[in-house]
Amino acid sequence: MSRVKTETAIYAAIALAGIALLVWIIPAYTPPYPGYGAPPALVPNVAVGLMLFMAVLELIRTGIAQRWGRRSRTGAPPSTTAGAADAEGSDGFTQAGQAKLGHLFRFIVPCGLLVPAWNWIGFIPASLLFLLVIQYVVGQRRPIASVLLALVVVAVIYAAMRYGFNVPVPGNAFPEYLPLWK
Amino acid sequence: MEMMIAGALDSLSPISLFFVFTGVAIGVGIGAIPGVNGPMAIALFIPVTYYMSPLAAIGFLVGVNKGAFFGGAISAVLLRTPGTPEAAATTWDGYPLTSQGKGEKALRMALYSSVAGDFFSTLLLVVIAAPLAAVALYMGPPEMFALISLALTVIAGIGTQSISRGLIAASLGLLAGMIGTEPVTALPRLTFDVYQLDSGLSLIPVAIGLLAFSEILVHLERHVGKGGHQESATTFSDKPEDRFVSFKEFAASLKTLFRSSLIGVGVGAMPGLGAPVASFLAYDQAQKRSTHPKEFGKGRLEGIAASESANSSVVGASLIPLFVLGIPGNLAVAMLMGAFMIHGMMPGPLLFEENAQLMYGIFGSLIIASVFLLLIGRFGLRLFCKAVEIPAVVLYPIVIFTCIVGSYLGQSSVFDVVIMLTFGVIGYFMRKFDFSYVAFLIGFILVPEWERALQQVVISSQYDPFLFFTRPVAMVLMLLTFFVVIKAFISSMRSKG
Repeated sequence: MSRVKTETAIYAAIALAGIALLVWIIPAYTPPYPGYGAPPALVPNVAVGLMLFMAVLELIRTGIAQRWGRRSRTGAPPSTTAGAADAEGSDGFTQAGQAKLGHLFRFIVPCGLLVPAWNWIGFIPASLLFLLVIQYVVGQRRPIASVLLALVVVAVIYAAMRYGFNVPVPGNAFPEYLPLWK
Repeated sequence: MEMMIAGALDSLSPISLFFVFTGVAIGVGIGAIPGVNGPMAIALFIPVTYYMSPLAAIGFLVGVNKGAFFGGAISAVLLRTPGTPEAAATTWDGYPLTSQGKGEKALRMALYSSVAGDFFSTLLLVVIAAPLAAVALYMGPPEMFALISLALTVIAGIGTQSISRGLIAASLGLLAGMIGTEPVTALPRLTFDVYQLDSGLSLIPVAIGLLAFSEILVHLERHVGKGGHQESATTFSDKPEDRFVSFKEFAASLKTLFRSSLIGVGVGAMPGLGAPVASFLAYDQAQKRSTHPKEFGKGRLEGIAASESANSSVVGASLIPLFVLGIPGNLAVAMLMGAFMIHGMMPGPLLFEENAQLMYGIFGSLIIASVFLLLIGRFGLRLFCKAVEIPAVVLYPIVIFTCIVGSYLGQSSVFDVVIMLTFGVIGYFMRKFDFSYVAFLIGFILVPEWERALQQVVISSQYDPFLFFTRPVAMVLMLLTFFVVIKAFISSMRSKG
C-alpha cells in the first residue's frame, strides 16, 4: 500500500469513527442536559467535530493533490515507483505492514496473557515465565543468563511491592491450590 | 518570609535530600541509555511516588528529569547516539573528542555546562515565578479557557510534521480525558457501562503506555535478534589534559554558556518548543559568534557548552508556565503536572497561595538537585558510562516488566495494566503514522481544567458568547488561537501543494 493510500485509509477511518461518535456513541453514553451550564455532550462534540473536520479536510486535500498530480503527468499512468518507494518508508513515514504487526503481536500477546496468568498460576511463577518468554522474544539465547535475570527482577519487584510499598501483588504470590505455599 | 525559610528547611530534611539524590542518580543512569528519556523515566517512576510525601515526590521526579538531561549527553559523547533528543547537538563535538581519547573531558564539559545552565534557569524560576503567579491570579475563567485553547493549538505541532495530525491527536486526548464522571451532572460519561471507567482513565497507565511501552515496542524493531550491545568508541586517555577541563578552557566558554542559557530560558518558557530546539539554536549561535567557527563539529568544547547549557536551562524555565499558569510546555513538565495532581495539587497561580511552604520547598529541592547533579556527575562519571553498554536483551525485558508493574502500582488495579497495554498499542500506531502522542497526552491532562473553565464561563456569562469581547486578554488569546490554527493549516496546505 502506498503512502497516499495508507493516509487516505487512516483519515477515512478517523472520519468514520468521528461520525459514529457524533451520531451514536456520544448521545448514547453522555448524561442528559441538567438545565444549567454547558451540556455534558458539548466538549466531546467539539473535540470530535474538530477531529472529523481535520480528517475530512485532509481527505479532500489528498484527493485534490492526487488529481492534480495525475493531470500534471499529462496522460502518463499513475506512477508505481513512487508507491514502492513509499512502501519502504523511505520518506520516514513508516507503515504498519505485516512484519510490523507480527512484531507487535509477539510482544503484546505475552503481555496480555500475563494479566490473567497472575490469577491462574500466581504472581511469582507467572512473572518468571513472562520474563523468560519476553527475553526469548527480544533475542536472549543464553538460558542461564535468562533465568538469572528473571529471578533477580521478580525477586526485587516482589520485595519492593510486598515490603517496600506494602501493596498486594495481583493474584496470589503462588498458586492457591498448591498447599506447599500456604 | 517565614514560608520561604520553612520551605527551605523542608527541602534540607534528610528524607527529601535522599529522594532528590536518588532521583538525580537514577535520571543520569536512565538518560545515558539510548532510547530511554526523561519523560519516559518520569512516567515509570510516578507510581513509586504515590508512597512519598508531595515534596519528596516532586523533588525526586525533578531530580530524575534533571539527571536525564545530563545523562543524555553520555551516550551522545561516547556512542554518537544521543540518549535523549535534546542531546543530539552534543554529539557533533562530543564524539570527535571521544575519538581522540578525550571522552572524559567532553563529558566533564557537558556536566559543567549542564549544571551551569540548569542553575541559571532554576534561579530565574525562583525569582520570577511567585511574582508572575501573583499577576496571573487576575486571570479569570475566560482567560484560562482562552489560554488553554491557545496552548493546545501550539502544542499540537509538537512531535509531528503535520498540524492536522497534531490537532486530531489533541482532540483524541481531549476525548480520552473526558471519559469518567461529568463535572456538572456527576454522572458517568463515555464509560460504556464499564464501572472501572467511572473515575476516568488514570494518568499513570495512559502515560506509561504512550510514553514508555510504545517507545520500547518501536525500539525493539531495531534491536530484536541483534543483541543491542553497544560498545563505546574508545577508552579514556589517562593524561590529565585529556581528562579534565582547565579553568582557562571553562572561562573561554563562559560567554557561550551565558548566551546559551538565555536561549534555553527563552525557549523553555514558551510552550511547545522544547529542549531540542534550544540546543540546536544555541549551537548555531555559538558557531556563528565564535572566532573559530570551522572548528565546530571537530571536537570544540564551546559546542558542547552551547548545546548542554541550553538544553539544561530549559528544565527550570519550562516550569515557569506550569507554576504561573498551570500550562505544561513540554512532555516532561506535563508528567510533573500529573504528579502534582496525583498528590492533590493543581499547578497554577493558586499553588503559591495554597501551598506556599511546599512551593518554596520545591524551589529548594530544585537548587539542591543542581548541586547533586554536579557531585554525582563529578564522582560517578565513569560508572554511568557503563550504563550505555547495557545490552538490549537485558534492558528491554526489565523495562517492559517495569511498565506493567508500574501501571498496576498506581491503584493496585489489574484494569490499569489493560489500559496501559491498550495505550501502548495506540501509542505504537500513533508513532508509526506520525500522530503526536505529545499533543494527545497534553490534551488528556488539560481537558478537565479546560472544561471547568468553559463551564464557569457559560454559567457566569449566562450563555453570552460576547463575554470574550469584554475581556481584552481573553479576546487576544482567542484571536491568537485562531491565528495559530489558520496559519498552521495554510502552511501545511502549501507544503503539500
